[in-house]
Amino acid sequence: MLLEKTEEVKKNFLNDLDSVNDNESIENIRIKYLGRNGIVSGLFDKLKEIPKEQKPEAGKSLNLLRNELTSKLEELKSSFGKGKKEGGIELDLSLPGRKYHIGSKHILTQTLDEIKSIFRGMGFSVYTGPELESDYYNFEALNFPPDHPARDMQDTFFISDDFLLRTHTSPVQIRTMEKMPPPVRTIMPGRVYRNEAVSARSYCMFHQVEGLYVDEDVTFAELKGTLVSFARQFYGEDLKYRFRPSFFPFTEPSAEMDITCFICKGSGCKVCKQSGWLEILGCGMVDPNVFNYVNYDPEKYTGYAFGMGIERIAMLKYGITDIRVFFENDFRFLKQF
Amino acid sequence: MKISLNWIKDYLDLKGISTKEIVNKLTMSGLEVEDVFDQNETYKGFVVGFVDEKEKHPNADRLSVCKVNDGKEFFQVICGAPNVEQGQKVVFAPIGTIIPKGNFEIKKAKIRGVESNGMICAEDELELSDDHSGIMVLDSKFKAGTSLTKALKLDDVILEIAITPNRPDALSHIGVARDLAAIFNRKLSIPKVKLKESKSNIKSAASIEIIDAENCPRYSGKVVKNVNIKESPEWLKNRISSIGLRSRNNVVDITNFVMYECGQPLHAFDLEMLGGHKIVVQSTKQESVFTTLDSKERKLPAGSLMICDDEKPVAIAGVMGGENSEITNDTKNILIESAYFNPSSIRKTAKILGLSTDASYRFERGTDPANTVYAAERTAQLISELAGGEILSGTLDVYPNKIKEKKIKLRFNRIEKILGYKISNTKIKSILKKLGIKIISELKDAVTVTIPTYRPDIEREIDLIEEIARIAGYDNVPTVSRINVTLEVKHDETSFSNDIREYSNALGLSEMINNPLQPEAFSKLTGIPIKITNPQNLDMEFLRTSLLPGALNIVSKNIKKGEKDLALFETGNVFNLGSEKSNISTFNDFKEEEKLIFVLTGEKNGREWYGGVSVYDIYDLKGIVNSFLNKISLDYFTNDSYYSSDNSLYEYYFTKKYKNVVVGQGGKVSSNVLNKFDINQEVFCFELDINILKSINAKKKEYVEPLKYPKVFRDFSFIFDTKIRFEEVKNFILQNSSNLLKDITIFDIFESNDLGLNKKSMAFQLEYYDENRTLTEDEVEKDFLNLIKLVSKKFNAQLRGK
Repeated sequence: MLLEKTEEVKKNFLNDLDSVNDNESIENIRIKYLGRNGIVSGLFDKLKEIPKEQKPEAGKSLNLLRNELTSKLEELKSSFGKGKKEGGIELDLSLPGRKYHIGSKHILTQTLDEIKSIFRGMGFSVYTGPELESDYYNFEALNFPPDHPARDMQDTFFISDDFLLRTHTSPVQIRTMEKMPPPVRTIMPGRVYRNEAVSARSYCMFHQVEGLYVDEDVTFAELKGTLVSFARQFYGEDLKYRFRPSFFPFTEPSAEMDITCFICKGSGCKVCKQSGWLEILGCGMVDPNVFNYVNYDPEKYTGYAFGMGIERIAMLKYGITDIRVFFENDFRFLKQF
Repeated sequence: MKISLNWIKDYLDLKGISTKEIVNKLTMSGLEVEDVFDQNETYKGFVVGFVDEKEKHPNADRLSVCKVNDGKEFFQVICGAPNVEQGQKVVFAPIGTIIPKGNFEIKKAKIRGVESNGMICAEDELELSDDHSGIMVLDSKFKAGTSLTKALKLDDVILEIAITPNRPDALSHIGVARDLAAIFNRKLSIPKVKLKESKSNIKSAASIEIIDAENCPRYSGKVVKNVNIKESPEWLKNRISSIGLRSRNNVVDITNFVMYECGQPLHAFDLEMLGGHKIVVQSTKQESVFTTLDSKERKLPAGSLMICDDEKPVAIAGVMGGENSEITNDTKNILIESAYFNPSSIRKTAKILGLSTDASYRFERGTDPANTVYAAERTAQLISELAGGEILSGTLDVYPNKIKEKKIKLRFNRIEKILGYKISNTKIKSILKKLGIKIISELKDAVTVTIPTYRPDIEREIDLIEEIARIAGYDNVPTVSRINVTLEVKHDETSFSNDIREYSNALGLSEMINNPLQPEAFSKLTGIPIKITNPQNLDMEFLRTSLLPGALNIVSKNIKKGEKDLALFETGNVFNLGSEKSNISTFNDFKEEEKLIFVLTGEKNGREWYGGVSVYDIYDLKGIVNSFLNKISLDYFTNDSYYSSDNSLYEYYFTKKYKNVVVGQGGKVSSNVLNKFDINQEVFCFELDINILKSINAKKKEYVEPLKYPKVFRDFSFIFDTKIRFEEVKNFILQNSSNLLKDITIFDIFESNDLGLNKKSMAFQLEYYDENRTLTEDEVEKDFLNLIKLVSKKFNAQLRGK
């Protein structure tokens, strides 16, 4: 008797399910069959009325019915709940997610940020200075005498007799030292300009990071140690390096730092012009003449300075072969990094 | 500068030292070797070939099919040169050799159906000259099969060395040899001059007078008579071509040879062309025109140092000789000039003329004033040896104020203070000696030295320290593994710009970096531009006055590449003149300011499955600007003004002001402006002044306890006249509500015919709460109903719906 009833209930339940089209109708069916006063509860109430010996079997079949209806409803509910709204679509996890955009920093900014954070970690401040600079800061106070061939090392864009677009970030050295007494330990990033023909290898504008440390007892050995530490943090711990004598009017002794070419590992390739070495920066001990310009006592204080080109570093690091791509700002390029 | 190692060996024994070692040590002591051209390597495999047969190519008129013998075998080779003939000795490149020009390997090939097994070479292909008129035909004395390097004595190694401006002493073979001698501890031998002079004295043949002694401290001369101008001998031609110069005639080649030997530029005058057989060195009093020996007319400003005879200028001192006195094939009598000029005078003239010659390059860096007589005599000797002629006895040498060797004191402990390690006193003294620096007195802790005149760069103690460091080797300076960290307060002047970039990224914008050099049309759009006096071209003649034109240029370029949907930002400096007329002579004559620009154009998302296409509009721009200012805590400090009419840049726009100063402006870029950049889609830009934003003291961030009591929300919507603006309604409601109303948001706005003509619907959500208690329904309802009444009346608005 009760058994027949269960079958009937099940049949009606399935019929009702056919008309279901949203979560609300599912809920209505749940209440109708499985609610506190629902049909299934009613059947359980009837258990009291049947003979004792039939009770276990009947109870078992009622439990089965309850479980079956419950799981059917859950199944249906989940298919609606997760995707299908009114007028919605069937759940399809393979559909692409909605697009969200995070912008990117220019690769030159990212390269500079990395350099900055290494030097910040070694106790350097960060100072900046103007791009439209006076001859005094760009050349004279950096020990480039007027009419000296050293000025030819940096082809200059002139604005007037006394003003120009800075050819290097070194004038910020002078500006920073004018502002404060030693110790000065700072890097000075910025944009610089050179009147050089635009090609894959050179552009009329680029970026540099300058470094300066002045105190009592600053030595060339410390300069080497600091820059080697930087290079190892930036390029990799197993790198080999060398310091070559060079010439900059505002440092003496002057040097250029090379590291083993990380493309050919030193065996010689196109990028390193078969030498196995890549030049990454120029550096040296601050020339006493420069100290005289900023009223530091060159007998008491010594210091080092260094400078590197960010484009060159980014080109090496990311395998970019044409410097112009940095400034073309092709959106696809910008989003790559 | 090119340096031939074979040539160097004339002054220095390099036995037992490999090229690699030489290159490395030169580089590591400051003469950076940029390139090595080893002829033995380059010409490996090339041999003398004999053209045994030559026939016409069956399928090509201009090609020949040759049989070339390499001393052992015959090879069929296709040759395209017009001058190839049977019986010639030629340069043969067998299969596997690498042709220097273009760096390509010879492979077996079929040319127009005929097999070719090698190549007959022209001079340019071997990089021996730029001649490509035909193949190189060799002297018939060479045996087929002889290696090319042996036949033509191509066994040199040429180094390309980058000489820094402080090392004029190294601009010659003896100069480089001097450094090598110091590095490898070998003896330098400078050629001795042996002159066979005639009886007649130079004083009867020529004279020299210096009027401008400041710019010409020394002028020496030598006369050789009855010379025979002709081709140079092989050895001289080889020397000249090994350093990349072209051989002209024996006298010119000798002057070049001596300059590249010892660094002293020389000039040979045709003595008979010098009026009064006289040299007068003086500066011009007025602007003048002079024809140099390259037949070009040069305009010279007043004050240029000139070499003159007794009536006219005959050379621009230190730069280039004149056409009127140059050596010709008929020249018989020669005056050799060997002078020392003031470097900055020569540099000025060369700069103004835009003319840099081998001579001016050396003079402006500083030649050796002590070397003029040696160089003149060395030249005279070689001329008489190679061109015949008699050297007149004696040397003219006008040297009014002798340039003395500098004296410098060098303290040993100062070396350690700079370098950070101790070099023994013995080693220091030995390095000085090797560099030709003489110790004239010695104390326990210091030495006093004199500097040879060929090292004008060594003037101070620090210069000596550099010399010692460089010869001792920078590699020997220890690399410390710990540093002191000084405890002054650290600053980061870039931190604000860093934040700007972070927030812009978070808002979905990507960073661009533009060239601030622009054409005038760009810069004039947005300010009073500053001009570059020596621009590369008209496209980079001015500095940017705003970030806008550069940004639009990039938008345009991207659209042309098919990238039409862009969200960009840039921060950077812009430059404006103080006023139209001002000329820049101080920092007050112009403004350099840091700016930030946001740029939006195209679609936010393309066609996507979840929704229709939506394009960027003014509300996106406004939202981004507001979120940005909120993030840097400046939104409370600024207020908006709206302009729906044109200005020169925008069709409609809004500004952000701080205390009545505009800190930012932007909107929809006007089509006039867009047309200039060839853009035909809407672009929205906003430019902010970073300098002002930085100067505003942002509200200090303070903790605010999150609200403990529930908020109560009420919605209403009204039909308004379309001209009523959201902000008017919002302000009215705020002014007339109870202070429990904390915020108003607009959540729907539309216009429709159903609402009536010129009508629109705006729906608002009102947010009520109190920080200290739970609100009652009644008090909210009372305020809400009151607002409905007031808004309806004030704006003649009609409440919609419930």
